[in-house]
Amino acid sequence: MGFEPIVKMIAPGVRLCAVQTGRFKTGCISFSMALPLEGDIAANAVLPYILHRSCKKYPDFSCLNGRLAELYGASLTAGVAKLGEAQLLSIDLTSLDDRFSLTGESIAKSCTELLLDLIFEPDLVNGSFGETAILREKRLLIEKLESELNDKRVYALRRCEEIMCAGEKFGLDKYGTRETIEKLTGDNIYNAWQNMLKTAVIQIDMVGSGDCEGVAEALAAKFSKIERSPAEINTVFVQTAKETRRLEEKLPVKQGKLVLGFRAGTRDKSDQAAAYKVMTDIFGGGTYSKLFKNVREEMSLCYYCSAKLDRHKGVIFVQSGIESEKAGMASEEILRQFDAVKAGDFKPDDLNASLMAICDKLRGIEDSPDDIASWYTYRILEPVLKTPAQEAEEIRQVTKEQVVAAANRVTLDTIYMLSGTGEDDTDED
Amino acid sequence: MKIEEIRNGKLNESYYKIEHPSGLTILVLPKAGYSSSYAVFAAKYGSIDTRIALEDGSFSDIPEGTAHFLEHKLFESEELAAFERFAKTGASANAYTSFDRTGYLFSCSGNFKESLEILLDFVQKPYFTQETVEKEQGIIGQEIRMYKDVPDWEVLFNLLRALYKVNPVRIDIAGTQESIAQITADLLYKCYGNFYNLNNMVLAVSGNASVEDVLEVADRLLKPAAGEKAKREFVKENPEPETDYIEEKLSVSAPQFMLGFKEAVQTPERTAEERLCAHILLDIIAGKASPLYKKLLENELINTTFSFEYFEGYGYACSIFGGETKDPQAVASEIKNEIGRLKTQGIDEASFERTRRKLYGRMIMMYNDVDELANELAATFFTGNGLFDEIEVCKAIKLDNVRGRLKDLFNENGSALSVILPL
Repeated sequence: MGFEPIVKMIAPGVRLCAVQTGRFKTGCISFSMALPLEGDIAANAVLPYILHRSCKKYPDFSCLNGRLAELYGASLTAGVAKLGEAQLLSIDLTSLDDRFSLTGESIAKSCTELLLDLIFEPDLVNGSFGETAILREKRLLIEKLESELNDKRVYALRRCEEIMCAGEKFGLDKYGTRETIEKLTGDNIYNAWQNMLKTAVIQIDMVGSGDCEGVAEALAAKFSKIERSPAEINTVFVQTAKETRRLEEKLPVKQGKLVLGFRAGTRDKSDQAAAYKVMTDIFGGGTYSKLFKNVREEMSLCYYCSAKLDRHKGVIFVQSGIESEKAGMASEEILRQFDAVKAGDFKPDDLNASLMAICDKLRGIEDSPDDIASWYTYRILEPVLKTPAQEAEEIRQVTKEQVVAAANRVTLDTIYMLSGTGEDDTDED
Repeated sequence: MKIEEIRNGKLNESYYKIEHPSGLTILVLPKAGYSSSYAVFAAKYGSIDTRIALEDGSFSDIPEGTAHFLEHKLFESEELAAFERFAKTGASANAYTSFDRTGYLFSCSGNFKESLEILLDFVQKPYFTQETVEKEQGIIGQEIRMYKDVPDWEVLFNLLRALYKVNPVRIDIAGTQESIAQITADLLYKCYGNFYNLNNMVLAVSGNASVEDVLEVADRLLKPAAGEKAKREFVKENPEPETDYIEEKLSVSAPQFMLGFKEAVQTPERTAEERLCAHILLDIIAGKASPLYKKLLENELINTTFSFEYFEGYGYACSIFGGETKDPQAVASEIKNEIGRLKTQGIDEASFERTRRKLYGRMIMMYNDVDELANELAATFFTGNGLFDEIEVCKAIKLDNVRGRLKDLFNENGSALSVILPL
């Protein structure tokens, strides 16, 4: 317990972070690439998907997936996320630990080779990605972007972010827009790939018993052929909201979604991070939080009402699913509960419950290879990689005064309400 | 007290099955080197239990959604609510109601015994009043409305309503706003009395916990059970669906579909071999390495939301394919054609072997995860199976076993298509 990762610089802006342990049945390796959230966002967003669907050695996704099945059902995933004002691209591979191999083949070694093939040796036709692959990936990305509408909770949060951070990079969609995706050409994607290899801040996270020296060597060999100049990635922190914006939009939904967007008041992602985490948790985290106890349990207004801090941008969002006509009542109550946190109106037991729950969860991270890998992946832009145990230590030191001080730096920026159109509000069954 | 160790050498895992004098079966799977633990205390009582057995052997109806409602209300007590008690241990507590069981759980990485004590205590101490029941109707009413806007949920429940005429798997787990309005404190006590006796329950624990830790708490807290296992009805169905097409309009970006094939089951539960054969066949038909997947993707009929599952429980089983598509009818007909082709041309040894190896790997991967292990221990116990049964079957299964299942799983006249269209 209390794993310290092995951290190695492979090339400028390329870091390997390996947690070596034989405790799990699996090994995982994840390749993450951070770029500023600007420029050709759509082309960057296509990259992890197009790269994880084929490579020179397995030029078709059916044979690639056949290979993954042979590797005992190794699971390959690609994703795009927003990390403050960075676009984070990733390709992850999870496989069975070598001790379960039926043939003696090293699964970890084969998986690392495969992952590096996907990233460095794509299936190019005349120096470009194939026409069929490009058309397919553009369609899939547009459908992914548009399907944000299908989950109204996600959709409402996304709209609130967009409205609140209009004019900031954070307001942009991580996939780009339908128009920019439609316009993408083979050249754009090829250039984005080259640019990524040269300028992205890259981190490779490994968890398991795989040979980390071997991976370091293989990576070094790949990057020795690339002239690296890693990008500067900065996020603008707007510390105070000007005036509160209110916006209501309508869609034919049965349940309304309320989102309150706050500016945390932080200067950067490390500013009072532990105190803010505890403050947000007391306000709207676990079942001991103000929002759960009052908005849900006391007032029966909703099934969920919770607060989430994004320290990478210095914003806090409260989300709740409620009857459309109760939006006013719910947002008043949410703000009243926030004022209580600001006034220090919570018991030592509440603070204690929060500290214990957060530390309990942090300890639990070390029992899941995926959680360990994503813990470090989300710290790709941090010069020093903190362990979950170190963070728990900081959380334990947080005092009531620090929580209250953090709350008093928070300002309300935007209230967004997604309401029903009223036509479809009755339950037919 | 009988304590049995059940060991699997290849996995290097053991779990202990304890028949506690109180009547409760306790299953414990310790994980060396882990700091976290997960415990689930479950009753064999789910949304499909819409009827309660009477003394004369007949059954009487209870409102839809009662099992789920009871789950919400059990967290309250006369003194301190369960959540407030867990706040003192740092554990994260929750509960779920599925079609065939209700589970109360916590996960923690410290204070395990204190948390287990709270779990065993509050689940054994029901406290319902008319006032708190009415309050909960507001919260659950919002939960029901929330799901009405979730296309993945609607497309599934519409499919189940299309496939099943009478089997209660066709009803929503949380019930409807009308059905939950009929729930009273008295009714909750009656259902609690019938389903929540220790003979009808299981406690499953995985992670940083030993048999001694669990028994120390269990011996103190468990009250000997009066009563027997609750009776569950095996509701037989015709092989044909209620309807072969069902449609709903919602605010979505593109049509969503689910195509289900209903299996004519003769016994209430599937065996480990039946389940495994279904998983292998589904992957051969529509897995990412299959010709069908490639064809559907290239013809722009599916996207990465495409998936499939073997959906089964007490008295029902069906195979489901689903996802987003511009043309639900076309995908459905491509899937049916491919199944027809496999029925006539047979399955080749290579794709069978590849899939078997994939599922073998995926099954081992589950053994990292304490949540999944404890829930799987509880689920397999209620179906009369052991945790390691499926992986053992996987080692020995032959192509012939799988071939034999193709006809039962995919009856041409037993399918239904559920579609959600954009407004």
